[in-house]
Amino acid sequence: MSAIEVRGLVREFKKGPRAVDGIDLTVAEGEIYGFLGPNGAGKSTAVLMLTTLLPPTSGTATVAGFDIVKQGPQVRASIGAALQEAALDRFLTGREHIKLQGSLHGMKGADLKQRGNDLLERVGLTDAADRKVGGYSGGMKRRLDLALALLHSPRVLFLDEPTTGLDPQSRSALWDEVARLSREDGVTVFLTTQYLEEADALANRVGIIDHGTIVVEGTPDELKAEVGRSSVEIEPHDAARLADLERALTPFGEPMVTRGTSASIRLNEGVGDVTAIVRALDAQGIVVHQLRLREPTLDDVFLEKTGRSLEGSGDNDEDETPSA
Amino acid sequence: MTGFSHWLTAVKGITWRQSSSFFKNPALVLPSLLFPMLFFAAFAGGLSDLNRIPGFDYEPGYTTFQYVFVLFQSSMFGGIFIGFAVARDFENGFARRLMIATPRRSAIICGYGLAALVRSAFTIVFVTIVALVAGINVLGSPGQIVLLFLLALTSNILGSLWALGIAFRFQTLSVTPLMQIPFFILLFLAPVYVPIQLLRGWIRHVADVNPVTFLLEGGRALMAGTTGPIVTAWLVILIGGIVLGIWSLTGLRAAEKR
Repeated sequence: MSAIEVRGLVREFKKGPRAVDGIDLTVAEGEIYGFLGPNGAGKSTAVLMLTTLLPPTSGTATVAGFDIVKQGPQVRASIGAALQEAALDRFLTGREHIKLQGSLHGMKGADLKQRGNDLLERVGLTDAADRKVGGYSGGMKRRLDLALALLHSPRVLFLDEPTTGLDPQSRSALWDEVARLSREDGVTVFLTTQYLEEADALANRVGIIDHGTIVVEGTPDELKAEVGRSSVEIEPHDAARLADLERALTPFGEPMVTRGTSASIRLNEGVGDVTAIVRALDAQGIVVHQLRLREPTLDDVFLEKTGRSLEGSGDNDEDETPSA
Repeated sequence: MTGFSHWLTAVKGITWRQSSSFFKNPALVLPSLLFPMLFFAAFAGGLSDLNRIPGFDYEPGYTTFQYVFVLFQSSMFGGIFIGFAVARDFENGFARRLMIATPRRSAIICGYGLAALVRSAFTIVFVTIVALVAGINVLGSPGQIVLLFLLALTSNILGSLWALGIAFRFQTLSVTPLMQIPFFILLFLAPVYVPIQLLRGWIRHVADVNPVTFLLEGGRALMAGTTGPIVTAWLVILIGGIVLGIWSLTGLRAAEKR
C-alpha cells in the first residue's frame, strides 16, 4: 500500500489562481519524497491539504490509507507534521510542549514521559527541556518541532521547509535525523523544500512543482541523467597550451563556453571519459593545473523543464496561507 | 485508548496549556482581576446612594446588587477573553498544531471552553472575597448561592462560545472588539444600576427582552433568597448555549476550510 496517493488534487482560492492545479503523485511506505519548487509554487498548499488543514477544491488523496476529506481524524492520528515557522508557545517549556502534544494524541502517563525523554535526547534538547521556548534559538525550535511531530510514532511525517533559516550545522543535524527516521524506523517522509541540495541529499524521489503542477518526477539521479551529461573543466598549468588543450578535448565531447584560462566540454560518455582524457593530455605533454568534473544538478532539471533557474526564482512570498 | 478517552485527554491537554499560559503571565492575570474590581468599586462605591431612591427595594443592599452584576460581567468576559487567546493562536500558527494533532477537533472548543471556566472561577473567587470584605449581604440559602455561582459560571460558556465563533472565523486579534462589543451592549442594556422596575422609556422595553436581564434578576433573587426569573435564567443559558454552540462549531468548520 502507498503511504500517500494523490489524484487530480486541486485547490482554488477565491479571487486567486489555482495554487495546486491537478497534481498526481504516489509515495511508497518508508520513502523520503522531496517536493521541490520555488516560493509560491504550491508546495505548502499541497501539504496543508494532505494534513487535512485545508480541504481540496477537487481531486482525491489518501494518506496512510485514509481519505483526507472523509477520514480526517484517522489521517491526523497517522501523521506528524512540522510546518513552516515552528509554532510553539513561548510561555511553555520544551517538556511542557511534549506533555501538551502527547495529550492531543491521547498519550499520558509513564509512556508519554519515556517517549518524550527519548525524543528530547534524540534531538539534543535534554538540557534545555525545562527552559521556556521563548529563549530557544531557531534551530532548537525546529528540533523541538520535529520531536513533537514524532511523539506519537506517526507512519507519515510531513516536513514543510524544515531547514529554512537554519545554520549549516543545525541543517545537517536535521538531515541526519530525517534520513535515520526513514532508514531505521520506516517512517514515510514528505519533505517540501526550495533547497536543491536538501532534496538531493535526502530524497529517494523528487517531484518538482511549478505554478501548481508537477513538471517532473523521479529519483534525483534519474532526473539529472534525463537532462544532460556530466561536464569537465580543465585548466592547463601553462596558459599558452590552452589551444592545444581544446584540440585534445574535442574527441571527448562538445565544447562549452568557459573562462579564458580553461577549457570545458560536455562529456560524450559521462565520467568514464575522464581517465581517457587524462591519458590523452599526458600523451601530448599537457600538464593539468586543475580538473573539475561537474555533474548535472536538480537546478539544471528545473531549468530544462520550466525554462528558468530554481535558485532565486521564487521572489514572491510563500503560498502557505493564501486568503480564502 | 478509546475514542472518548482520547478526546477527553486532548480536552484536558488544551485546558491545561491555556490555563498554564494564563497563570504564568501577569499581563493576562492582572487585567482579569482589575477589570471587574474597577466596575465594582465604581458602581458599588460611587453609586451607593441609589440605595435610597424610592422603589429600590433590594433587601441585601446596593453593594450586593452590584456584586451580582460584576459576578456575571467578569464571568462572561472571562469567556470572551479566551477568544483573544484563540485568535492569537491562529495568528502565530499554534492553532495549526492543535488542528493537525487533534483527531476530533471538537476537543479544541471544549478545551478552550474549560480553560475559560477555570479563569472565570479564579476571577469569581477573587471578586467574591473582595465583595465579602466590602460588606455584601448574603441572604440566600447555601443551595441558592451554589445555584448563583453555577449560573455565573455557565454564563461564561456563552461568552466563550460567542468569542470562539468569531476567533475561528476571522483568525486575527484585530477583531477582538467584535467579540466584546455585543456583550457590552447586552450587559449595559440590562438593569445594571437599578432594578428593572425603576427603568423608564426605551431602555425598559429593551431590558424587558434582554436575556442578560433574566440572568441578573435571577442571580439577584438567588442572592437575596427571594423568588425571581431563575428558571428563565437557566433557559437563557440553555438556549444561548445551543445557539452559540452551533455558532462556535460552524466557526470551527469555517476555519477548517480556510
